[in-house]
Amino acid sequence: MLGWTGSILRVNLTTRTHRKESFTEEFARTWVGGRGFAVKILFDELQPGIDPLGPENKLVVALGPISGIPAPNTGKAVVAAKSPLTGFYGDGNLGTRLTEQLRKAGYDALIVEGKAERPTMLYIEDDRVEFLPADDVWGRGTFATNEWIYGKYGKGVGILNIGQGGENLVRYAVIRSMEGRSGGRPGMGAVMGSKLLKAIVVHGTRPIPQADPKAMKAVGVEDLKKIHQMDQDSGWSRQSTTGVLAWCNEVAGLPVQNFRKTSHAEAWKIDGERLDEARVATYGCPTCTMRCGIAIRDKEGHESELDYENVGLLGSNLNIFELDQVGSLNYLCDDYGLDTMSAGCTLSFYADAIAHGAAEGDFRFGDAERAKQLLGLAAHRQGTLGNLLADGSLRMARAFGHGSEAYAMQVKGLEVASYNCKFIPGMALAFGVSPIGAHHREAWIIAFELKNTTRDSYGPEKAAKVIELQRIRGGMFESIVACRFPWIELGWSLDNYPKYFNLVTGLSWILNDMWALADRVYALIKLHYVREFPNATRKADYPPAVWFDPGNADTEGPIAHRHLEADKYDRLLQHYYDQRGYDNRGIPTRALLEKLGLSREAEEAGKYATLT
Amino acid sequence: MRVTVKLIGPLIYAAGFSEKELTLAGPATAGEVLARVNVEKGRPTILTRNGKAVGPLDALEDGDRLVISPIYSGG
Repeated sequence: MLGWTGSILRVNLTTRTHRKESFTEEFARTWVGGRGFAVKILFDELQPGIDPLGPENKLVVALGPISGIPAPNTGKAVVAAKSPLTGFYGDGNLGTRLTEQLRKAGYDALIVEGKAERPTMLYIEDDRVEFLPADDVWGRGTFATNEWIYGKYGKGVGILNIGQGGENLVRYAVIRSMEGRSGGRPGMGAVMGSKLLKAIVVHGTRPIPQADPKAMKAVGVEDLKKIHQMDQDSGWSRQSTTGVLAWCNEVAGLPVQNFRKTSHAEAWKIDGERLDEARVATYGCPTCTMRCGIAIRDKEGHESELDYENVGLLGSNLNIFELDQVGSLNYLCDDYGLDTMSAGCTLSFYADAIAHGAAEGDFRFGDAERAKQLLGLAAHRQGTLGNLLADGSLRMARAFGHGSEAYAMQVKGLEVASYNCKFIPGMALAFGVSPIGAHHREAWIIAFELKNTTRDSYGPEKAAKVIELQRIRGGMFESIVACRFPWIELGWSLDNYPKYFNLVTGLSWILNDMWALADRVYALIKLHYVREFPNATRKADYPPAVWFDPGNADTEGPIAHRHLEADKYDRLLQHYYDQRGYDNRGIPTRALLEKLGLSREAEEAGKYATLT
Repeated sequence: MRVTVKLIGPLIYAAGFSEKELTLAGPATAGEVLARVNVEKGRPTILTRNGKAVGPLDALEDGDRLVISPIYSGG
């Protein structure tokens, strides 16, 4: 088997043991890597109903066959577990040196089981695994933890670590790496924290097996140069993802004041132009030549690395239009190890709940200083309020009552990314049917909706576009484990990815093979959901209720008096199910599961819910 | 006729401005205004007039705000 190391490292923190396990070529070809590996491993090994913050949950770090080699934007890793935020499969990806190091150590994936007796750092060097005390940095932030590890091992090692958010089981705590990189929005950092696992450090010394390493290196290096040139020619990384903020503000798609409004006169103060002007440094992931991380000085003088999602949800969504203050909130989230998106939506929900009389409190939109304090309370689960904030917007809404769940901006418990779909039906669908909750990673179709169809349409073309993008973004890129940005932002051809895949594996895949993989991965995530929530209905695939509320419609601007319409949205959802081969509840049919090679998994899911 | 042109993202640096008011001698379409701005020919863009998507043949009116953006992908 070429392309894969053929090995998974399984570590048990309770017994302080480890084992190198082989996987078959059939497993490799069926699931490829990354999200594919993670979803299959967790489906087979986790019993439904387990406590996601208990020792029986497992953390999977999974890589793909092109991970860690010199090819465009392959320095990423997928982290996955049962999510403490959503209650079923959750995952995320982040740029990290750990990718190359784990592959060089001889593994395509790492499974962490059990729970340590005391704060622990896992150190992996090829076949050697050490369980080291991490008491010195338990209670400290991710930046200090990184420095502590660098001091021991140098900067070349691969690191995953958590901050106080993960330690204190904040349900949207992320895993961090390389100072500015975060992954695992649905609480993967909390899963690490529940295991008293502060950090994973990896150093590998072996070559990564490849079918044609010479050709791959030549192609990879040349393509990295071409992508760099394309970025320079287009000017994309001048503002990177933050360029879209000004556009969202123009077309009534920006989250403002907990998504109550869709634009703001002061949005220009935090847009991509201002960010570029304030730039003090630029950062990126390993093997990236179109670096997207723009760092500014925050209010307290720290470097804070921002992208659009951070600025939208910690800025306009909280009515905060001072860029250095947005930088401060972002820095705190990064240091505590909190997901900036869920943190932003949870704070905005709290302010909104107070404004609507559902809760008592002193937090108002626009109050950056109080927002900083609240992030600290959440990260440390300090007091009743800190505990409420640490549980995310949905649980907070259920605690507050008074109908506030309608404006908790989440789907399946995961907070909505920074696009206000008050009247963007297709993107609302993309959030609704994102397999892990409201993540923008799976599909983003707003430009398509405005340019290639109409904003009013709830037609099948939008469902088709969502599926097309899910296959590419959430399926192929998450499973081969590469960043989508060269393709999606610069137009780098998708055909390059099967080419890289074939050079390292010796196989002859085409894009259609990737789409079959993607459909298999999406179907199995859905079966995870079915096992955990057998009585769920199609309403679970609805976006936040407030987007359907006529009373919440804009009163002026391009979408004045417009809002999502429930009956039309439901028909759009049905288009999605029909095109996917899912039944009326949004569950893959037995016929589809058999076609995807998931008969055994169907049998297992069938124990919990009736499959049609 | 006066229209405000707003550019988004990298288009700003190529054209040398972020937002400005243009005075036009007579009626003009969105595409005609686009042609007057230094945006690389053939570069895919999305045009909005007062926040609503328009095509290059759509006529502009006095006081309109025309936004010219590259096609973003949502990251």
